[in-house]
Amino acid sequence: MSDRPSDRPMLEIEGLHKYFGDNHVLRGIDLKIAAGEVVCIIGPSGSGKSTLLRCINHLEVAEKGRIRVDGQLAYCTEKDGDVRPLSNRAISAVRAQLGMVFQQFNLFPHLTAMGNIIEAPVHVLRKPKELARRRGRELLAQVGLADKENSYPEELSGGQQQRVAIARALAMDPKAMLLDEVTSALDPELVAEVLAAVRDLAARGMTMLIVTHEMNFARQVSSRVIFMDRGVIVEEGTPARIFGAPREPRTRDFLRTVVDR
Amino acid sequence: MEIFNLEIAVHNFGPLLAGLMLTIELTLVVIALSLVFGLLVALGGMSRFAPLRWLVKVYVEAIRGTPLLLQLIYVYYVLPEIGIRLNSFTAGVLALTLNYSAYLSEVYRGGIQAIAIGQHDAAAALGMTRTLAMRRIILPQAVRIVIPPLGNYFISLFKDTALCSVVSIQEVIFTAQILAARNFQYFTLYTVAGFMYFAVSFPAARFVAYLERLTKRGYRRRRA
Repeated sequence: MSDRPSDRPMLEIEGLHKYFGDNHVLRGIDLKIAAGEVVCIIGPSGSGKSTLLRCINHLEVAEKGRIRVDGQLAYCTEKDGDVRPLSNRAISAVRAQLGMVFQQFNLFPHLTAMGNIIEAPVHVLRKPKELARRRGRELLAQVGLADKENSYPEELSGGQQQRVAIARALAMDPKAMLLDEVTSALDPELVAEVLAAVRDLAARGMTMLIVTHEMNFARQVSSRVIFMDRGVIVEEGTPARIFGAPREPRTRDFLRTVVDR
Repeated sequence: MEIFNLEIAVHNFGPLLAGLMLTIELTLVVIALSLVFGLLVALGGMSRFAPLRWLVKVYVEAIRGTPLLLQLIYVYYVLPEIGIRLNSFTAGVLALTLNYSAYLSEVYRGGIQAIAIGQHDAAAALGMTRTLAMRRIILPQAVRIVIPPLGNYFISLFKDTALCSVVSIQEVIFTAQILAARNFQYFTLYTVAGFMYFAVSFPAARFVAYLERLTKRGYRRRRA
């Protein structure tokens, strides 16, 4: 159980560029996240936050830049200056090391909570079913859903579904978790239970990159906050610094519009 | 004007029933083959390999743009000219399978495309390859969507087998034609034939409607 951010870089992003047609969505992102760090990305919608997360596990393909996961160059290989994309199988293997939780939960509706959790461990990692189930029960208990093992997603509330989605991602024993606005689709009264599950993960030392609109949560949970706007990282620092004394005018403007004080 | 002749009906019931059995056999064989081939065509149509996509497109449009009757005649009477000689049952199976696979591939395609993009994202994010995601996540959900339309296609297939009379398969219509040529009891024979089709397709249609209700219920725990 490590609890302090170490110096071991878990995610390294270098000169990342992404275009959607003519729209230059990410304009050179450099970011290093150490093992055990919890980094929240805040910023106005359309700033490229979610695209950045999706590029990190290759759901979107960045046109330029390098991504390293736990020191390993991901999604491409470089040999004598020649950059080539990895095979689909190798790309999947990198993704299997990263847990992702989506805004819309994206649970598999035809599988129970337990079915959702053990699907990838059994069929991707080839873990024995019984072992995967045992771990699944631990994870369901961890997110407070020990009694929902046999429930189908549509029998669960949004908050419960999102907690199953968190457990599903954790079941792969990821090196880092990517959380993409995980509370944005929830009714207000269900937000707290999901944030509590994320806080619990942070306390367990999970490396996390979190895109969020929950400013109080970002302030409490993160070791570092990043403010993004129009495809660039405008400013980063400790939550106390970013929320207490933002240096950049754009950060100040943004915080004024979202923080109700 | 002739009237329904019960004696003729009873006397010819055996041969007509044998024709119905052949009709059912033909239907079941084509269902099995086109379920598989239709899926392969659908997957081919969504392949990342462009020539395969084009091939599928040409095949599907060619089939959909011409009558089934023509396709049957083609397989049975034209193919022998290039040395492919099939017996009538095989020719019927081949033509019907080619025809229905084209239509079913469109049904499958619709079902697969109806699955939300988030399902693909979630599967990919968990490290599943495209093939694994298709097999474990997308197809199981798509199957549920396509069951009712597939069922309806199979009911029309059952009736379309009547066209196989032109390639001399001794199904219901062909049998009725033969018998009627002997005794001229058209009214009686074709009425019995009609009832035979109806006796199968009506319950089948009710069953498909039941499946449709079942699949609309969503995914829930079965409660005792």
